Amino acid sequence: MNYHQYYPIDVVNGEGTRCTLFVSGCEHKCVGCHNASTIKPDSGHPYTLELEEQILKDLGDPRIIRNGLSLSGGDPLYPGNLEAVGRLARRVKETYPDKNIWMWTGYVREELTPAQWDVVAYVDVLVDGPYIQAERDITQPWKGSRNQRILRREAGDLSL
Amino acid sequence: MTDIIKRDGSRQPFDIQRIIKAVACAMNDAGLRDDDFVASVAESVRHACEEKETVDIYDVQSRVENIMMRSRYKNAARCYIEFRRTRDLERESRNTLNQEILGIINQDNEQILNENANKDAKIIPTQRDLLAGVVARYYARQHILPRNVCEAHDKGDIHFHDLDYSPFFPMFNCMLIDLEGMLSNGFKLGNAEIETPKSILTATAITAQIIAQVSSHIYGGTSINEIDRIHAPYVRKTYDKHLAEGVRWIGEEEKAKAYAMERTEKDCFDAYQALEYEINTLHTANGQTPFVTFGFGLGTSWEERLVQTSILKNRIRGLGKNNKTPVFPKLVFAIRKGVNFSKDDPNYDIKQLALECASKRMYPDILNYDKLVEVTGSFKTPMGCRSFLGAYEENGELIHDGRNNLGVVSLNLPRIALESHGDEQRFWELLEDRLSVAKDALMCRIHRLDNVTASVAPILYVEGACGVRLKPTDKVSHIFKNGRASISLGFIGIHETINALYGNKEDGQHIYDNEQLREKGLAIVQRLRSAVEEWKKETGYGFSLYSTPSESLCDRFCRLDEKEFGVVPGVTDKGYYTNSFHLDVEKKVTPYDKVDFEMEYPHHASGGFICYGEFPNMQHNTQALENVWDYTYDKVPYYGTNTPIDSCYSCGYEGEFDATARGFECPSCKNRDSSKMSVTRRVCGYLGQPNSRPFIKGKQEEVTRRVKHL
Repeated sequence: MNYHQYYPIDVVNGEGTRCTLFVSGCEHKCVGCHNASTIKPDSGHPYTLELEEQILKDLGDPRIIRNGLSLSGGDPLYPGNLEAVGRLARRVKETYPDKNIWMWTGYVREELTPAQWDVVAYVDVLVDGPYIQAERDITQPWKGSRNQRILRREAGDLSL
Repeated sequence: MTDIIKRDGSRQPFDIQRIIKAVACAMNDAGLRDDDFVASVAESVRHACEEKETVDIYDVQSRVENIMMRSRYKNAARCYIEFRRTRDLERESRNTLNQEILGIINQDNEQILNENANKDAKIIPTQRDLLAGVVARYYARQHILPRNVCEAHDKGDIHFHDLDYSPFFPMFNCMLIDLEGMLSNGFKLGNAEIETPKSILTATAITAQIIAQVSSHIYGGTSINEIDRIHAPYVRKTYDKHLAEGVRWIGEEEKAKAYAMERTEKDCFDAYQALEYEINTLHTANGQTPFVTFGFGLGTSWEERLVQTSILKNRIRGLGKNNKTPVFPKLVFAIRKGVNFSKDDPNYDIKQLALECASKRMYPDILNYDKLVEVTGSFKTPMGCRSFLGAYEENGELIHDGRNNLGVVSLNLPRIALESHGDEQRFWELLEDRLSVAKDALMCRIHRLDNVTASVAPILYVEGACGVRLKPTDKVSHIFKNGRASISLGFIGIHETINALYGNKEDGQHIYDNEQLREKGLAIVQRLRSAVEEWKKETGYGFSLYSTPSESLCDRFCRLDEKEFGVVPGVTDKGYYTNSFHLDVEKKVTPYDKVDFEMEYPHHASGGFICYGEFPNMQHNTQALENVWDYTYDKVPYYGTNTPIDSCYSCGYEGEFDATARGFECPSCKNRDSSKMSVTRRVCGYLGQPNSRPFIKGKQEEVTRRVKHL
């Protein structure tokens, strides 16, 4: 897997103070995509184990509290990303059960494959659906178009 | 026939009698008389001029001087030169006075018109105030300030703040009103005797009246310390009244209580709404909306909680049909472990409300209880935007309300650094000289109040705002002694000072990135602190060190220094000097790192300080804002949240407007009509609305350059 950007302190992608990773690779190719440069899976830099360790370390930073990890892109549920994203999400949840994971995907919940569900199992908040230019509405937090949904595990939105 | 070109450019025929008269006067001043000599001087000047069509008046004067200096009457020559010099000075300052007055009439003197972002210089009462300021400043410089202080101020070595009011008028800077004493003991206001209020609605109405009066008698900010505690008894009275009514009409006690509670909650919300509107519609004798600050947050009783939530809910709602963000009163919310810091604390819900309010309206700023006590000796609300009193006891009891600050004189630290040309030893020597002038200046402020009687400001000294009830004929000076009042040395531009002394951005390291430079910055502020401690010991007055916000000073010092030293990279090249000890606004760091960088300074500059961070829109993420607030708790006493809260009445956009050369512009619909927008920026400790009342140029530049810390 490749990634584009890693922000060790981020407050604009999900609630609380977060570590945010933008991965490469997406098959939706939405018109008007906010991060069009991340669509190609081989764009950006290779995602390494060092980076993964760094993310885990940042999440546990005793000085600056992180409420969790945000996964965006690209699409973290792009088939080629599932293995790496799944491992990261699992390790985060195992190390910090109290920290939450937010994920942005272009797939809709109802059409997720079992392999994708295996990754979503670690996710607390899933913002789903492609970006549809005609439905654009940036007054709503955390999403770009009205069709997208903020699905919360707490509210039962992510149970199978 | 020769014409003389006068100073104003007009022409007048050469008249030898005028020269005879002036030289004779000078001879007379020197105790001499020699009519032949006088005539010969005049004759030789006439001779030198007669061939020319026009001669400049200065030319004539220097000819007279030269001839007299060459004669045996050297003393008379000195008298002549001294007389001319005095006349020149008088003339020059009269000219400045005239020009400044003209500037107000023609509305073209930016220095005067935009010096204070809270004053609307377009309207007549403000123009009257500005005019009074110009004259008061002129008179003070000519006749009240010691010569060395006046020169240092004019040159820009120091800044004697608020010269338009003080020392001409025997006024002081800012204060904490003894509102509790005034409300519970009654007082006289104008022609009316005011008794203790019987409801919260009356209490807030009277509070507005008191604020209007007080802020017309002082030139700085007016603060109410712990307004929730002070107003709580009147909330209780309102409840009791409603309960009695409920019992009478409903009978059943439980129902009557519920009724009384609901009515009281409504009354309380209305009362603070009225108070907020009152303050925003007030126009004091100083030609502005009063600088008012409300401190609150520590009370945990039902009444106090109700006051807190009413203030915050009103602020969240905003003013008028567009729900505009008010910039007054400034709100300062106290956070304390055990009261509202964590989830188990009784007022944690109100902290959440404060976070929502800050994300939407920028205020409240927060006071971190434990840190504030550690740094300043006790808990109290800042006077105005950032002036903090030290601890002071009367009869073994800590007293805050009714105390005040006598004023500020600030040092131009970057100038001292520029003059030292990188020589640290020289810097410290020059600093000592400047400190001594600053002390003279501050003593001048203090002594201006020496023989003043209470009758100049009955609201302050006779009716209780200062916590005393003197007779009109009593002198007031004793209430400023022994640390009851503070008097502050200010400083500006630690960032530029370090750049000037130890290199700059181009060829040196940023103070943020270099541990040694950080130490140097702190060392300067430590020396300033030890100086005020020495003065305190020597005089008995409450000297304190104050981190000057420099709303207009950031521009003035830099402009004067650029004139003298040219454009020095990292020092005079931006058009402003950085606020007190603050981190360079262009340095991109996290708010956490900024807090760490600044946290040592308030310990030394404990007479006044504020720290703040630049945030993106946090309205949907108050949890992240809370993380930062919590981080500051044991690090800095006083913290403000700067976040984009502009709104466009044309298209409904909410966020950050672009500052363009043609004014503020909505990024969404390109609206530039300042009556169809609300633009709010932090000026210093206060907020301002630069679309309707422009900031001074240097401050606007500084605001534009601020980078977001997240």
